[in-house]
Amino acid sequence: MSVTAVESWVEAPLRKFVEDARTVLALLLHPSGQVVAQSGFARAIDVMSACALAAAINASAGELGRQLDGRPFRGLHHAGRDRQLYLADAPTPRGSFIVLTVFDQESSLGLVRLYFEEFIRNLAAAAPTSPRPVEPVLEQHFEQDLNKNLATLFGRG
Amino acid sequence: MGSPFASILESLTRQRGVRASLVVDQNDGIVVDSSLQIGQDGDRVAALAASLYRKARLSAGAARLGSASFMHLEAERGRICAAGRNDLVLVVVADPAANIGLIRVEMMKAVGALP
Repeated sequence: MSVTAVESWVEAPLRKFVEDARTVLALLLHPSGQVVAQSGFARAIDVMSACALAAAINASAGELGRQLDGRPFRGLHHAGRDRQLYLADAPTPRGSFIVLTVFDQESSLGLVRLYFEEFIRNLAAAAPTSPRPVEPVLEQHFEQDLNKNLATLFGRG
Repeated sequence: MGSPFASILESLTRQRGVRASLVVDQNDGIVVDSSLQIGQDGDRVAALAASLYRKARLSAGAARLGSASFMHLEAERGRICAAGRNDLVLVVVADPAANIGLIRVEMMKAVGALP
């Protein structure tokens, strides 16, 4: 399974996770919806919509958790007929990321959660210690950055 | 109120050399109930054992051997046994020196009591 990443330090931990957990699709993104790495996607348009949906779901689930439990929910699981998804936060010294994982009968929620714990440890260990400069997410930057990241991931950079 | 699996798990954990017994959802690999000794990681065992059992069952089917009833994995530092019914798998982790015949008998009895 090929893994492509905008930031190279995420590539090895994500590749290991994808192989161990036998995921169909995996996506690492900033909470703003900017893609950082992907595995299994064939088209940039699919990554773009998956990032937007994952960021929105994460924001809603986070707020729901804060209101119900005083803190954001840790992970979200949806089971479909053939495919399931697991969406969770991955905190690192470089900031927090969102991970969207899609898996089928080749894996299970238990396996994905098991290897996800290992993945966030590996990701945190691989993260550069300097925090990423936080810039305001502006509409014009967002689209520009999104297109740049998609071009990097799909070889059109 | 105790779990409906408590007595099943107790009877297995009473066997000499048994370190952990768990009832696991076969499809999700998630623990339904467990009886663990200190130091045993139930979530890890459940996820991996359910995955192994599911694959063993599929392999038995693909090889036209019929349905798998019992799986036994022997490793350097322990054994994992699994037996399933419907969507549940009964998993036992035991010492290498444990009497596997006795454990198997108890497990097959216990599987019959699973819903």
